Amino acid sequence: MKRIVMAVMLIALFSGQLMATDITGLQVIQNVDNRPTGDDMQGDLKMTLVNSRGETRVRDIKQFTRDFGDVEKKIMFFMSPADVRNTSFMSWSYDDESKSDDQWIYLPALKRVKRISSDSNSDYFMGSDFTYDDLGDRHPSEDRHEILRTEEVDGRTVYVVESVPKDEDYMYSRTVTWVFADTWVGYKKEYYDEDDDLLKILTVEEQEDHDGIIVLTRTKMTHVQKNQHTVMSFSNVTLNQGIDEGKFTERIMRRGL
Amino acid sequence: MMNRTTLLALGAALILLSSVSVSHAQSIDLNGYVRSYTGVLTNEQNDYSIIQNTLDLRMSRSSGKIALLANPYIYQYPNRDLDIGLREAYMDIYFANMDLRIGKQQIIWGKADGVFITDIISPKDLSEFLLRDFEEIRVGVTALKADYYLADNTLEFVWIPTFTPTLMPDNTSIWSRVPEFSLPVVYDYSLSEIPGRLENSEVFLKFSGMSSLLDYELMAGSMWDDDPTIHVDPIMEVGNPQPVGLTLTPQHHRLSLVGGSFSTELAGAVVRGEAAYYMGKQFGANNVRGLPTDVLEKDYLHYLVGTDFSVGSTNFSAQFIQMLVLDYEESILQDEQDNMITFLAYQTFLQETLMANLFAYVGLNNKDALIRPTVTYDFADGFEVLAGANVFIAGDDEVESGYFGYYDDNDMVYLKVKYSF
Repeated sequence: MKRIVMAVMLIALFSGQLMATDITGLQVIQNVDNRPTGDDMQGDLKMTLVNSRGETRVRDIKQFTRDFGDVEKKIMFFMSPADVRNTSFMSWSYDDESKSDDQWIYLPALKRVKRISSDSNSDYFMGSDFTYDDLGDRHPSEDRHEILRTEEVDGRTVYVVESVPKDEDYMYSRTVTWVFADTWVGYKKEYYDEDDDLLKILTVEEQEDHDGIIVLTRTKMTHVQKNQHTVMSFSNVTLNQGIDEGKFTERIMRRGL
Repeated sequence: MMNRTTLLALGAALILLSSVSVSHAQSIDLNGYVRSYTGVLTNEQNDYSIIQNTLDLRMSRSSGKIALLANPYIYQYPNRDLDIGLREAYMDIYFANMDLRIGKQQIIWGKADGVFITDIISPKDLSEFLLRDFEEIRVGVTALKADYYLADNTLEFVWIPTFTPTLMPDNTSIWSRVPEFSLPVVYDYSLSEIPGRLENSEVFLKFSGMSSLLDYELMAGSMWDDDPTIHVDPIMEVGNPQPVGLTLTPQHHRLSLVGGSFSTELAGAVVRGEAAYYMGKQFGANNVRGLPTDVLEKDYLHYLVGTDFSVGSTNFSAQFIQMLVLDYEESILQDEQDNMITFLAYQTFLQETLMANLFAYVGLNNKDALIRPTVTYDFADGFEVLAGANVFIAGDDEVESGYFGYYDDNDMVYLKVKYSF
């Protein structure tokens, strides 16, 4: 019996090593990046900002995204609070990694659509703990990825992957991502600042399965150094409804919903 | 300004609206803001520059292909009648590839910040110089606006049947700027109105596009000059060869212009440009005896280049603006070139609840400036307190104090408390 147990343990250990060595960190992150997300998606986004004193502020947004193949377009309409109502934000993200995102914002007080720099990706989105870059699709090739280890979570194998940006000026010195091996869904991510101190932790609290497409419907970003956090909830999610291409235009930014 | 009848009518409208809102709460959207604004001059007496309470309502309704918006406002000042008006009131009609907007509306063109080059459709309200908020410094115009869409390009046509001039401060205002003459003056306003006729319409056309590479606008217009030319005539007396005074006759003249603007991203910064070529501007000029009684028609070029960028978490914006009178003659009262720069820096703190902002206009001709630092704190969602200052700096030239330096005595600090709903 002991020999059998030993043999099973050895097989398990060996297979674990195989799992760890058969796939690279880059492949794990590419699998996460290539996970099906649908051709288009829309839903209501609620951001709850909680500061270090426990005070809460809420921002409501309607969001539409559509994948056009070589470019993913996203448009957001801010519904509340009242002082940002009717503001809209649009971004076009390209598969071509040499091409920066294009971003515009419509400010109703100015009655103008303004192009904003993709350098603002390190800015925090609407005062939340998410930067624009945290919310976007970062190309796997922008970082060097290494599997640090595998872990077991609820009986499922998880890859722990460290990603170090090739651009030394990037806002994070590295990130560490926990990814389920069976679904390629990340469930936790740590962000480290330029001094390699832990800055933020992203956790996935809820997800929904839409005909095999997994949508993260509740995530929490904890800013460890500021002792504050943001919860982002996505509700009324619908996929593949054939959102019209004309939704992602200056016309709709100005007109609103 | 308003009378009691107007006030009663507005009150009745609001009551009616509130009842409609209750019965059709799902389709009528009511929002706006209440604001208290107090400013104090930093002179020895610490005179109030402004004490103003504002109610601004935005009522909108959308039902698929039709949308309506009415934006009434009330300004209340101590010891004055209420100032009530409609900032905008229009309806939108949406077609597959075209939108129509009919009614009183603010129309904003161009890529410039705080400067008006191709952004000349909605005239300006300069009753508080350039200090009013963005929405308040524009005057709505009654217009028909048609937008035809072709992918990411738009062809826009604007027809304005009646002319609306720049709103100037009244003579008792600290922002009033009275031309200085060596002789007594008499004003003649008989030619200052533009009769409401079809031939006096203003028309504008714009073709614009948005793409990954570039956002651009090309425009042309036939309009009235929002700012009147002051025609000066000597007042003569029998037996006296020298004029004893001057008659000043403000008169608006027809202007045509073509222009355009662009913005693009370059090396992590947004680069913007805007230019307009104005044809037929009437410039005041001195006659051979040195009296400012001549008017010369000249074309001029008005343009800017600007950039928006960030360093760390601080955002910056800078613009260089030049107005250049072509075929210039020395007798023209205005400088051949008028150069200006603007500068903006801002940063947010505490989850964007605290924002520090610094905006400045700097006149390069007269070395004068207007510097506007502000700090805004959001105590709660929609409730903000803004503390700021307006600092006017006069140039070295004692005769020509400059566009901003003229108000050197109007330095002020102010507080705005605003609740948006």
